Amino acid sequence: MDLLINPVILYVGLAIGALGVLLALPRERVNPQLIGLILAAGGFGAVIIALALRGLDAAGLPNPHYYIFAPIAILSAIRVVTHQQPVYSALYFILTILASSALYLLMGAEFMAFALIIIYAGAILITYLFVIMLATQAPSETEVGALSPYDALAREPLWATIMGFAIVAVLTGMIAQGLPEIRPAGNETDQQMLLAELPGKVLDDLDAKRVFREMERPETEAIGDLYTIDAASRTMTLAVTPEAAGDLLERAEAEDRQVAKLLIGDGTTLADLRAASGAGGSVRLAVAPEVRVTNLDTVGWSLIAGHPLALEIAGVILLMAMLGAVVLARKQIEIGEDEKLARAAELGIHTGPTDQMDSVSGGGASS
Amino acid sequence: MTIASLAQDTIAAGMPLAELYHYLFVAGVLFGLGVIGFLARRNLIIMFLCTEMMFQAAGITLIAFSKYHFNPDGEVFVIFVLTIAAAEAALALALVVLLFRRKETLDASAWAMLKG
Amino acid sequence: MQELASNLMNITTLLGASGGESLFTYQESSGGPGWLGLIPVLPAIAALICLLLLFLARKGMASGKSRGPAYLVLGFLALSFILTLSGFLMWNGQGKPAWIVTLFDWINITWNSGDGEQSLIANFGFYFDGLSFLWMLFVTFLGSMICLYASEYMSGDKGYARFFAAFGLFVASMSCLVLGDNLVMLYLGWEGVGLCSYMLIGYFYTKPEAVAAAKKAFIVNRIGDLGLALGLYLIYTTFGTVQYDELFRAVAERTDAAGSPLDFATMWQSWAIPCLLMIGAFGKSAQFPLYVWLPDAMEGPTPVSALIHAATMVTAGVYMIARMFPLFLMDPDLHALHAVAWIGTFTALLAATIGMAQFDIKRIMAYSTVSQLGYMFAGLGFLTTTGGAYHVFTHAFFKATLFLACGAVMHGFAGQLDLRKLSGLWSQPGWRITSVAMLVGCINLAGLPLTAGYFSKDMILAEAFYTPDSLIHFSGLMGWILLFTAGLTAYYTFRVFFRVFVGPEHYEPGDEAYDHDSDETGEESHHPVEEHGDHHADHFHPHPPGWAINLVLSVLAIGSILAAIPYFVSDGNDKSKGWVGDMLYSSSAFYKSPAGHADKHGNETAVLVPADPVVLPASFADEPAAAGAAKGKVPAADAWPVRDQVEAGSILGMDPHKAMYYISAVFGLIGILIAAYLHGPKGPAGLFIGNRTQAATSRADALLPKLGPLPRWAQNKWYVDEFYEATIRLPLWVFANIFHAIDKLLIDGALVDGISSLPKAFARSIRPLQSGVLHSYAAGMAAGLGIILLVVWVFSL
Repeated sequence: MDLLINPVILYVGLAIGALGVLLALPRERVNPQLIGLILAAGGFGAVIIALALRGLDAAGLPNPHYYIFAPIAILSAIRVVTHQQPVYSALYFILTILASSALYLLMGAEFMAFALIIIYAGAILITYLFVIMLATQAPSETEVGALSPYDALAREPLWATIMGFAIVAVLTGMIAQGLPEIRPAGNETDQQMLLAELPGKVLDDLDAKRVFREMERPETEAIGDLYTIDAASRTMTLAVTPEAAGDLLERAEAEDRQVAKLLIGDGTTLADLRAASGAGGSVRLAVAPEVRVTNLDTVGWSLIAGHPLALEIAGVILLMAMLGAVVLARKQIEIGEDEKLARAAELGIHTGPTDQMDSVSGGGASS
Repeated sequence: MTIASLAQDTIAAGMPLAELYHYLFVAGVLFGLGVIGFLARRNLIIMFLCTEMMFQAAGITLIAFSKYHFNPDGEVFVIFVLTIAAAEAALALALVVLLFRRKETLDASAWAMLKG
Repeated sequence: MQELASNLMNITTLLGASGGESLFTYQESSGGPGWLGLIPVLPAIAALICLLLLFLARKGMASGKSRGPAYLVLGFLALSFILTLSGFLMWNGQGKPAWIVTLFDWINITWNSGDGEQSLIANFGFYFDGLSFLWMLFVTFLGSMICLYASEYMSGDKGYARFFAAFGLFVASMSCLVLGDNLVMLYLGWEGVGLCSYMLIGYFYTKPEAVAAAKKAFIVNRIGDLGLALGLYLIYTTFGTVQYDELFRAVAERTDAAGSPLDFATMWQSWAIPCLLMIGAFGKSAQFPLYVWLPDAMEGPTPVSALIHAATMVTAGVYMIARMFPLFLMDPDLHALHAVAWIGTFTALLAATIGMAQFDIKRIMAYSTVSQLGYMFAGLGFLTTTGGAYHVFTHAFFKATLFLACGAVMHGFAGQLDLRKLSGLWSQPGWRITSVAMLVGCINLAGLPLTAGYFSKDMILAEAFYTPDSLIHFSGLMGWILLFTAGLTAYYTFRVFFRVFVGPEHYEPGDEAYDHDSDETGEESHHPVEEHGDHHADHFHPHPPGWAINLVLSVLAIGSILAAIPYFVSDGNDKSKGWVGDMLYSSSAFYKSPAGHADKHGNETAVLVPADPVVLPASFADEPAAAGAAKGKVPAADAWPVRDQVEAGSILGMDPHKAMYYISAVFGLIGILIAAYLHGPKGPAGLFIGNRTQAATSRADALLPKLGPLPRWAQNKWYVDEFYEATIRLPLWVFANIFHAIDKLLIDGALVDGISSLPKAFARSIRPLQSGVLHSYAAGMAAGLGIILLVVWVFSL
């Protein structure tokens, strides 16, 4: 069986890592956090090195920056779990987020990488920090640096570690064995087919090259009427008026290199242009090679075109969560009826009997 | 080397199996550490942090597979994971504040009588 | 009027009775005036109004003390009686076909079974013929009288309206029983009177004895009712109908309702049906072995005893047998009638012996009722439905008189009923009418010559000897037993009279609290003794009956005497049977004995109307039942083939009808003389042979030890109750407890609780898992996740 990693190295490495985490977890008296950290780093490092060696063989090495950010992510995650001060845990978690956003970036998911930093590190974790500060007992005069007992002591560290790493071992072992069965379902070319749906990108490029210098730039929505994009041959067929065709002909004949290259390089001949300038017609333009479908394009397209309902629901969930948080966290203040009335009177809200108004409205109704 | 070119390289090349496994390993370890933290720590806030860590592991896995399969849905899912994480954090933290007001402690086992 | 006239004209002639073939003559019935349907309905309406009053009283909108309910029920009952009387007078001259008045369709189902169309028709209809008129006349009359009595007797008791509601419902049920034109109606009334007697016996529901007695009456009646229900069902399956009209036609024609012939001589139903019906009658009419409820039922208020247990309800069994008499004659060997005769005779003797030894006068009357019911059953068994019905009639009057007189005594002496503690009421102020009424009742019960009781009893006794031995075996022996019992009856009856009503004046009050006296106003308050705080035992003053009780007692006493008249009045064909015989003549109860009848003047009558319905069981006929050759042409003489074969019975070589007058008179007088000698006071009141000077002692006390244990046994009712307790109740109780234990231990314990304890134990074992600690839940989730992953992995290998 074609294993991605030697299981001995994997499991021994994980076991050493587990031991390190166990040692690093907060406990009474002796708490060799540093030793635990080093052990864990060694264990996980061994696995990553083994992976790298294997990647060398299979020409499957990730970007070298991986070997910087992955250890940062893992080590800071260990510190999140093991640090006794909640504030430090939260800060280390921010580090974990930053490192994993770097990993996103290495995988080419730059939108998600920055979104992660903005949303997670920027918003959620800051909320955490606020809450940590809100919900921590004020230290007494005598023991300024004292920790709460529930922070200072881990609960059943041995069993927790065994359970956690059992899951890790099962997961990694399973993936190592099962992954070769999973074949990539698509390729780069497929992704570029999305170009046909992104006319604005092409038009912007053409505009930048001043192809539409003298003529009106087509509307983006007019695809199908004025122009079509063929993603496979990376060409754009543009319907032109006789004047525009004449203009293009002029510029091509005047050796405007860019336009000539775009036109002639893809089979539209001067003869064609002449014919078009006489009666009006279409010209074919080559899409520049630097006009490509980016990660942002694909994600955006998938989100809006593929999952609009889920997007709406996510919005509703966020709204509800906001309302819920507001309702839950607000302080309950008991106000007596008299106070309410007094306050209402202050605000000028009429709460008393409305005889006068009734009589007025009654009179109106009767008449 | 710019950040954009880092990303661009990956896209152009596609993701080999061994590389995928690198990322999955990191995700797995993060998930395991989240579990450990959730089980071993007593502070409610840290426990929630650990659940966020598990979310993070899931996010890395999703993106890795998304890139491996050239399927943007994986990334879109991460957006939803972030949404849920944000909502969960908002509510959970509000609850934590509420609970803390009641008992002046963040110890999870202090609320064992909630079993009913 | 048009309709009425057509009804009256719609009188059909006697259908072709066919001599020896037919058990009796079926006579087609016709419609009657519709207002007759009101007779049972009126008491029911009265009961409903009483219930409404009860409800209003509870809401405080009507007074609980008012006598309104009593007068209301009384009014409705009286109206019912008047309707009955006018209906009877209209009917009387009409050639006597039965009238059927249908109020509404009740059960009317027709369905198609495999063998053709079948139907069950039981409409809410009433059947008026001589038998039902006879019964209804005394039921409504006595009901009205007793209601008037009760209006005074019950005054001041809690639940006055409740009493009269049940009273009205009782009369309605009894009317329904008697008048119903089908067996389902009969059963409805039958159960209705059972229910009402339960309610009325248990009227003092705070008194444990009354509750026990009510339950006993109800449960013992259930046994009989089971027999009746089975009998009705068997009748339906055999004849395919429950309507009297069709049923009697079917019996007369020896077919079922659909017309298929039945062979009574061979089919088992011909003895099973009468036997089952007989069991029902035994239960309702308190015959051995089901008589035990009646004496205990004396726990109820005395008017209840008088109404239910003397005059009406207990006669339902007699009525039912009389009504179903054609079915009793189906059996060639008359098994059921033999049993009826023997059980009746035995019950008469047994109850009389028990009655002799009792000291509670009301209880003595109760046993005398059982005993007299025994006479009626014996009469039915001797094939003299007329005698049985006549005795029912007379007995209803004099026993009501006796009970009500006892009730007056009980009412006046704070519940005292012990004859050793009361004496000489005759000469006490205010008690004369009661005493006279008591004397009238006693001479009737004792059978003193020329009283109604004497004539009706004679009719049964004479028939006992007259009925050929080949028809009812040992009827003569039973006759002697009944004669002896008549002597005993005279003794115990006059024992009560001599002890309580004559002799030295003496009384000890009973222990019944007389709370209600102090609340009474109006007619009671004129008694000087009716002063507040005057009712302690040491200053007890008797409380003589008021106008209502005295009026009722007078009327009933006169009625008891006048009840002898029907014996002499007859306009029918067979004058030997008197007016009651006329009444029964065209009803299903009619039976003409096989031998020639001597009329009451000793002249042999050979009156046989050409189409005389009289008949014999098939086995006595010369020809087989199926032979119909002579049908409709049989000469009168040939209709009685038995006459030549069966010798009429005789007593001591004399004609029973003549001799019985003297013989039974002798037995009665001897009984009275013995009573006078043993219990009578000195002087004329004791017939000059008594010498009692104390209330508590008499000559009998000296005599008792010489009789050995017999008096004690008799006083303890021959230990019948104890015998039932030991042989029936105890085993049932043991079984019930065993089943209860099985239910508790096995069903409840092992099966239900055992099975339910499994999930309980399981839940207990896993309950600690729900600790409320977040971490343990998380650990569970994590472990579950790990296990799932492992399983997936292992299976993907």
